[in-house]
Amino acid sequence: MNSIICIFKKYLFFVFLLLGLINNGYTQEETTEKTEVFKKMVLEKTEVDFLTSYYTQNGDNAAVSGGIGDEKVTDFTPTFIVSLPLNEDDVLTLDAGISAYSSASSSNINPFDGNHPANAFQASSGASSSDLWAGLTASYSHSSDDRNKIWTGKLSVSTEYDYFSFGFGGSYTRLFNEKNTEISINANIYLDSWDLIYPVELRHVDVVRAKDDDVFPFDINDYTITGNTNYDPQFTRFKNKNRDSYSIGASFSQILSKKLQGLLSIDVVRQEGLLSTPYQRVYFSDIADSFIENFHLADDVERLPDTRNKIALGGNLNYYVNEFLTVRTFYRFYTDNWGIDSHTAKIEVPIKIGHGFTIYPSYRYYTQTQADYFAPYEAHLSTEKYYTSDYDLSDFNANQYGIGLNYTDIFTKVHLWKFGLKSVDLEYNRYDRNTSFNSNIISAGFKFIQN
Amino acid sequence: MKKIGLLLVMLLVLQSCTVVKEYEKVALSDPDMDLNPRKIERFKTNFQAYREAASGANGGKTGGGCGCN
Repeated sequence: MNSIICIFKKYLFFVFLLLGLINNGYTQEETTEKTEVFKKMVLEKTEVDFLTSYYTQNGDNAAVSGGIGDEKVTDFTPTFIVSLPLNEDDVLTLDAGISAYSSASSSNINPFDGNHPANAFQASSGASSSDLWAGLTASYSHSSDDRNKIWTGKLSVSTEYDYFSFGFGGSYTRLFNEKNTEISINANIYLDSWDLIYPVELRHVDVVRAKDDDVFPFDINDYTITGNTNYDPQFTRFKNKNRDSYSIGASFSQILSKKLQGLLSIDVVRQEGLLSTPYQRVYFSDIADSFIENFHLADDVERLPDTRNKIALGGNLNYYVNEFLTVRTFYRFYTDNWGIDSHTAKIEVPIKIGHGFTIYPSYRYYTQTQADYFAPYEAHLSTEKYYTSDYDLSDFNANQYGIGLNYTDIFTKVHLWKFGLKSVDLEYNRYDRNTSFNSNIISAGFKFIQN
Repeated sequence: MKKIGLLLVMLLVLQSCTVVKEYEKVALSDPDMDLNPRKIERFKTNFQAYREAASGANGGKTGGGCGCN
């Protein structure tokens, strides 16, 4: 915990240092330029959002241990979003965040920590039990003089112990019909790469070393194998470490009346490369079981196709009932070529309760069919080409209940350094699947505007 | 194909709506009428994208990252 606080302090320092440098540069430039024609700025002043969340999940179907085992995860995520007006037309936005998480299932990549007899429902104390994700996204937007055309470019990087992602993309938005209609198109490419980590008991099968072999020194000959003592998995390592995602999307929004507006959107995504997670075990029903202590040794890791095509169609409809009440609705249909279809429906009813406070009760329903390649613990056959026991790809439905609170101070009376506090958001959501899985998330947001 | 047809019909229906003038957009300018998700919603959108097979068409991410914990 101390290390997380230390990292967070350093991170906070660099965000404000960067902000100070950029602001200083901008002020100097401003004094040397003369604006001849008045044009309202797209963004009047620098805005800083500090957002954070604390997430926990529980369940008994961990993918790392082949569909059985502890799924407990905790995740703490502080994030800064800084929006800087560069001139009347251009805005630079920097979005930087970290995510410090601990995961019981990931810890069982190596369940043999010597502290207790290993089993899938007992977290290990190994290095994979926690990790830090860090990400940075920079986006630049330019608006035309009449504010009817907006171009945006975006670059992003994120990294964690065994995964790196680099992304870039852009969008173009056109408003017309007296700003009653808006059409937007976007395209994004993500070029990701794995540092391959396999379940510890499979590493003796192939002589190529995994990234964390030095962290987890493991020799299977030091242990007594029970059940099928002739443990001989037909395991081969992945040759491709890359995962690329290409997406194009479009949206169409329309004002329907003085109190009603809607949005239709579509995203089409193509993924290529290593779409399996290399440390998620699979057990075959036609191969005799082998154990060390109480832990079932892997027959293989999940094998999924190296391409996936996804299409998502969504719609929003928002209705302003009166000055106290608004109704926000959302529906999405999703389908992909792995055999998954899903429906998502959400309703949120913001209620203004006075003195700048609004509460946000919400409900969301989600359902999906299972992937063609999914089967539960020990239900796959070794003759299959593709297989996974990851319950995120199973058939399930989920209910999510949320409550949020927003306080907005239009006068920004509270100040921190050169910034006034504009709004505070708090939100809690509870998510329940019709399986053993559930999760809770608490989020908070603070919006500051430059004085 | 049927879904694409339905989408086109909806686009045509929406196009035929009356134009609302700038000075008539008081209710539409309410922050709660924004069609984009609020910033604080990004965290739950992220965990949904990781824990569910479906993603996209909701202002959230459509790629990048493994989401494997």
